[in-house]
Amino acid sequence: MKKRLLILLGMAYLALPSLALAAESGGTEEEEFDPSHEWELQEWIPIHIGPLDMSINKAVAYLLLGALLSCIVGIVFMRVKTGKDPDRKQAVGETIYEIAQIQVAEQGLPTKAIGRWFPYVASLMVFIWVVNIIGFIPLPLSDEKWHGIPTFALFAATSTLSVTLALAVMTWVFTHIEGIRENGVRRYFRSWIPDVPKGLYPLIIPLEILGQFMRLISLSVRLYANMLAGHMLILTFIGLIFLVTPWIAPFSVALATVFYLFEVVIVVSIQAYIFAALSAIYIGSAIEPEH
Amino acid sequence: MLSAFFVLAETTGDVADAGKAIALALGIGLGALGAGIGIGNIFGSMIQAVARQPELRGELQGIQWLGFALTEAVVFYGLIGGLLAYVLI
Repeated sequence: MKKRLLILLGMAYLALPSLALAAESGGTEEEEFDPSHEWELQEWIPIHIGPLDMSINKAVAYLLLGALLSCIVGIVFMRVKTGKDPDRKQAVGETIYEIAQIQVAEQGLPTKAIGRWFPYVASLMVFIWVVNIIGFIPLPLSDEKWHGIPTFALFAATSTLSVTLALAVMTWVFTHIEGIRENGVRRYFRSWIPDVPKGLYPLIIPLEILGQFMRLISLSVRLYANMLAGHMLILTFIGLIFLVTPWIAPFSVALATVFYLFEVVIVVSIQAYIFAALSAIYIGSAIEPEH
Repeated sequence: MLSAFFVLAETTGDVADAGKAIALALGIGLGALGAGIGIGNIFGSMIQAVARQPELRGELQGIQWLGFALTEAVVFYGLIGGLLAYVLI
């Protein structure tokens, strides 16, 4: 009985964004519904240092919250009350650690580098997972106000390109630093060139250099576009109620729920895992280029 | 029949908007076509592999999800291309 009540309350909580949308569209000013408004970031606390725009906005707030939560996840699941008679909490912590160790680090990194780079890839995985998952929980952090209170809305910091590009650049820089440190400048850059006849070099070398930069694009755009498309789909299907006719609600809300579950159950975890695994593979292949 | 189509296109408005819509739809549609084939291949091979050697399931699962995500990303490159055409031009 108690469980059912909890589930019902949870469902009502998840329905909050649609209520917020309804309140917004019922307001005095007639505004056309457009899901892409959610990605226009308004400055909350403007901080401008020369040409740099370091203002706190919605995405920054979500990032800070995500960083805090991933610290708490690490501390609560892996530090507090561990050791003697393991309980369920410790089992969860061990599962997270095992996925990071076996599935991510050992798949990409050579054995000698695991000690140094395991913390990086593991925290990358936990951080991206947390930021993704709080993007699907309605939080009162949106730009719109309803009687002075921020409305509940869905927004993931990873659905802005700047955030994912920053993460990808970090991995990319670490890759080359580690490759040069481990192999020396000459040997590392020579390892980019595959075994082909000398006549093909003018064709192959530009392609290989381009390929190194394509990694940057593919790593960042994969995460960004996945989260963007997920949010866009959910918002669009809820928005159909206001765009077409209210009678479409049972159909479109059901579809939005299906996409919501798909995103939360599959996409969120897979994208976090993929980003960390590919980072490990890139760093590992720079350390041992022969493989 | 064809002339009726042209009349319709003429009367209902902006050709530039139609072009943008087609660009967006083609970007997503063709991207999804390729990724659909690829994802089908990956899961098909996974089923075959597990049917032949069930004890390797754990090891194969990591590779499977890696391949799935790499393939699935292709749709989103198409989507981003389509969105760029829709928003920028």
